[in-house]
Amino acid sequence: MSDTTTDRIAAGSSGTSPVGVRRKPAPRGRRKKNLFAWVLLAPTIVGMGIFTIVPIIGSLLLAFFRWDIISRPEFVGLANFADIALDPTVRVSFLNTIVFVVVAVTLQLSIALVLASMIQERMPDWLRVFFRSTFFFPLVLSAASVSIFMGYLFNEQFGVVNWLIGLVGMAPVPWLTTPAGAAAVVIIVYVWQNFGFSFLLFVGGLGNIPKDVYEAAELDGASGIKKFMNVTMPLLSPTTLVASVMAVITALQVFDQPYVLTRGGPGDSTRSAVMVVFESAFEQLEFGRASAIGLVLMLLIMAVTYVQFQLSRRFVFYQ
Amino acid sequence: MKQLIGGSTARTLTRRSALTLGGLGLAGVTIGAWPRLTGSDIPGRKAEGLTIAILGNSADAEGRRGLAEEFHREFPEIDVHIQAIQGADWKDFFAKILTMVAAGSPPDIVYVATEGAQLFAEKLAEPLDDYIRRDADELREYFDDVHPSLVEAFMYQGSLFQLPIDWNAADMYLNTSTLHEAGLDRPADDWTQDDFTEMLRAMKKSQGAGFTPFYWTNRLFGGIVPWLYNNDTSFLTERKAPGGDWLWDGFYPDDPARSTRGGGFIWDGSNALDERVFESFDYMRELVDEGLGVRPEGGGGNSLVGLFSSGRVGATPAGGYWAQGLHEAGMGSDDFDVQFFPRNRTQRHQFGTAGYAIMRTAQNKDAAWEWLKFSARRESMEMAMPAPTTTPTRRSMVNASFYAETGPNNWQVFYETLDRFPSSGPIPAPPEQAAVENALIKNVTNAVSGSSRQTRAALQNLDRDLNLVLGSSR
Amino acid sequence: MTTQIEKNASPQVRRKVRRPVTGAFIGRLAVLLVAAVLTLGPVMWTLSTSLRLPSESFDLPPRFIPWDPDFTSYSEVFAQIDMIRLVVNSALMTGFIAAGQMITAAMAGYAFARLKFKGNRLLFGLVLATMMIPVQVTIVPVFMIIRGMGLADTLLALIIPAIPTAFGTFLMRQYFMGVPAELAEAAEIDGASQWRIFRSVYLPLATPGMAIVGILAFNYHWNEFFRPLILTISEENFTLPLGLVSLQGNMGTGSISVVLAGVILSMLPALVVFFFGQRSLRAGLTAGVGK
Repeated sequence: MSDTTTDRIAAGSSGTSPVGVRRKPAPRGRRKKNLFAWVLLAPTIVGMGIFTIVPIIGSLLLAFFRWDIISRPEFVGLANFADIALDPTVRVSFLNTIVFVVVAVTLQLSIALVLASMIQERMPDWLRVFFRSTFFFPLVLSAASVSIFMGYLFNEQFGVVNWLIGLVGMAPVPWLTTPAGAAAVVIIVYVWQNFGFSFLLFVGGLGNIPKDVYEAAELDGASGIKKFMNVTMPLLSPTTLVASVMAVITALQVFDQPYVLTRGGPGDSTRSAVMVVFESAFEQLEFGRASAIGLVLMLLIMAVTYVQFQLSRRFVFYQ
Repeated sequence: MKQLIGGSTARTLTRRSALTLGGLGLAGVTIGAWPRLTGSDIPGRKAEGLTIAILGNSADAEGRRGLAEEFHREFPEIDVHIQAIQGADWKDFFAKILTMVAAGSPPDIVYVATEGAQLFAEKLAEPLDDYIRRDADELREYFDDVHPSLVEAFMYQGSLFQLPIDWNAADMYLNTSTLHEAGLDRPADDWTQDDFTEMLRAMKKSQGAGFTPFYWTNRLFGGIVPWLYNNDTSFLTERKAPGGDWLWDGFYPDDPARSTRGGGFIWDGSNALDERVFESFDYMRELVDEGLGVRPEGGGGNSLVGLFSSGRVGATPAGGYWAQGLHEAGMGSDDFDVQFFPRNRTQRHQFGTAGYAIMRTAQNKDAAWEWLKFSARRESMEMAMPAPTTTPTRRSMVNASFYAETGPNNWQVFYETLDRFPSSGPIPAPPEQAAVENALIKNVTNAVSGSSRQTRAALQNLDRDLNLVLGSSR
Repeated sequence: MTTQIEKNASPQVRRKVRRPVTGAFIGRLAVLLVAAVLTLGPVMWTLSTSLRLPSESFDLPPRFIPWDPDFTSYSEVFAQIDMIRLVVNSALMTGFIAAGQMITAAMAGYAFARLKFKGNRLLFGLVLATMMIPVQVTIVPVFMIIRGMGLADTLLALIIPAIPTAFGTFLMRQYFMGVPAELAEAAEIDGASQWRIFRSVYLPLATPGMAIVGILAFNYHWNEFFRPLILTISEENFTLPLGLVSLQGNMGTGSISVVLAGVILSMLPALVVFFFGQRSLRAGLTAGVGK
């Protein structure tokens, strides 16, 4: 039951595939194929249509209304959008979110990449399995639970983190009660929990790089960093694209960590865009405004993802 | 093992059969679990009747279920369904109620705390005035047993919307051994804010590292507000609506504070720039600066029981609800004590209370009213509150036997808070409570974490945020 | 278990090149170990604190290993919440979502990867775009739709909307793209039907990919709080995370060790799934994302 065998079959890597069969598209089969495609797609498309697209359209319409859920919605045109454009809290929360995404995703990807490439190197198998499981582990926890116990650990007076810092002779850090400290904790806790996902993607991607490429590079005299930059990075770029797109989409929707750890404070320093959506809707009863903010956020996510894919055309190297 | 037998074909075959097996298994489980999936195994779910939403865990629901059965015995024609909503706080609970309202299936009765009282009164709840007038004789005994301040918290624009069932004041809890190690006795009833500061200093001196004398949380109840109240101010302007005489004259003619009672509180403006507000914030800032108090965190608040019971904290504001929690954490009745909040300009306390509200959308309001009356009876309240996880609004229930198992020994403090300080006020919670609380919470930490100048700047921000919230919704 | 198997199997498949232990090796190991300690440390602290009395929760120096465990907090969890019912509901909900996602994602992923039809790319882009919508934006309309379908307050209300999965579809598409097209062509020449090619040629090859979809779905939905909070009404339908928050008690009066005991208990099933699924998970990821 070796994983290597499984990998090879699953990936259908070259060598085992039958040779000599050439593609000959038959028009009859095409139409059948077409119908079959729609049959296969039906559950996903219908499901998404009902439970995502329709609600989104509802949300889109709602953005032009003022609605507290209790009374009748009142048409207000673009007022909600004008309102959020001027609202300092909304602006700050979007800025926070962008800064958060840049820092957290960079950390998450680089930590994941470094650790993933390290466990590719020679070491006993049991050790490799241990590391792999360990780094994936935080993903099985809920973000809310993680935030609860991390909150204890980062407590200024009584937490373990400041106790450790004290051992080195440094003054306790007001983690959750200063803007910089709170932002740092939210990022640390988020990255702690999520780097394992990118890590696994990278482990997968690195495993797909054929050994002979490295051997060739070694023959050319490349080693260490140079080998990593010139061989690993380009060959890994498709994985990096997937990992970064996933990481960015997830990070842009950060909610649980700041909600549990800091409630967005102190001030608005850790308030995220999704938090403002939630607060507008369920706390301030401004469902129209919440929809408007949600739509702006959605457009932002789409724009960022689009840019990522555009950049990928230039930088991603396909074998 | 497999790779010894064969290559990819064998594996593919196994996988194929595994897929088939998986599919069959799934079908089997679906059939078996169908009643659970569709909820058709829940007894009496489709039945007509009253639905009552409460915030709490299943233990709470269990207590109330007994209540519901008792009610059904007395009113066999009315079915009652209790829905315990297990949110972390009022906000979770409220998000749920709202969604139910949006979907057109709101509950008939909702257990609402002070935080949501005015929002419900404004938008969702039915005034009780006519019912109370109708059944005045029956209710006299209830009002005789319940302090008028608690009732007043549920007055809104001259009408009463809820009958208070449980409540809590922000009194001061003290760790007895910490107190003794500092060479101090239980402070006097009329201790001052300076006495309080001195107590913290003495505690700090005797305990040393890993100990912070005063712990407080950053929220609307028990955070900065008690310090504003005892300084005879608040971060919101406060006045009372006219009206309500029908209630006060009818049930509380001898209330010593009768002249101050009205038709409910109105909090409709920012008072953040008041000099006394600055004083209170600046006092907290000094406590933090001197290492006498913790800097309050935005989230959490869950560590308090552990910190207090392990002697890492000497004093913290809390109400009767804490007795059971400390008992469960392993503190004996002599290990902690409770005293009134210290005096500054006044000794006005802060409290919060809760009770059932009838929704305007309820089909059978008369039946709902029967539930309200029923749940306010002494037997019902005893059933709903078997242990001191909160304080009953009936004075007669706040007695030695109620606290016999848990302590504190000075349990009288709880109800006397209202008797001794009749001006004590509820959590300041206008209909825009959630936004107001947010505005407060986000500025408190900054206000107490730096210089006096930073405090002023934070209060400016608070003022701006409050004006935004209170101005926009009118 | 996994370790055992890997260890036994390794000599047969892995080329072992004996090289002397170098400084670089030790450095690398040190970095990995530090990362492992930082990852496991907080969890160990949580475990060990859940096994101590509340009054010892904040002991410093912290204890990471529970030498003399005390299980009061665990019995307290069982006393305060109806653990069995919550676990059954959570298991049913996550199980069906995971199974549903595996099936629908495999189907849709195959169609996107291997079949030609009009609007393939556009539709796929649209499916991906649904990943970008925060659940908070759509929850109220979703609740209304659910109610309109007569599913309000059932576990199906939690299951059905969660089955169409953009990420799962994306992953399965990548996965099927990695499977050589020649296989299908060979089968086609043999006269196999579309369905048979999918069902008997491709699907068996895709099981590791489906396993990832299933495991990720399990992890995500097992820990989900917001949707169950909003979409369920009767207590009979509550899931585990809803029970866990009530351990925090009114105004945070719950004790930290009980809360942490709840956290530990809730992660056990996810852990089991993870350990059993680890091999396919890894295999699936390796094959799925490289292309």
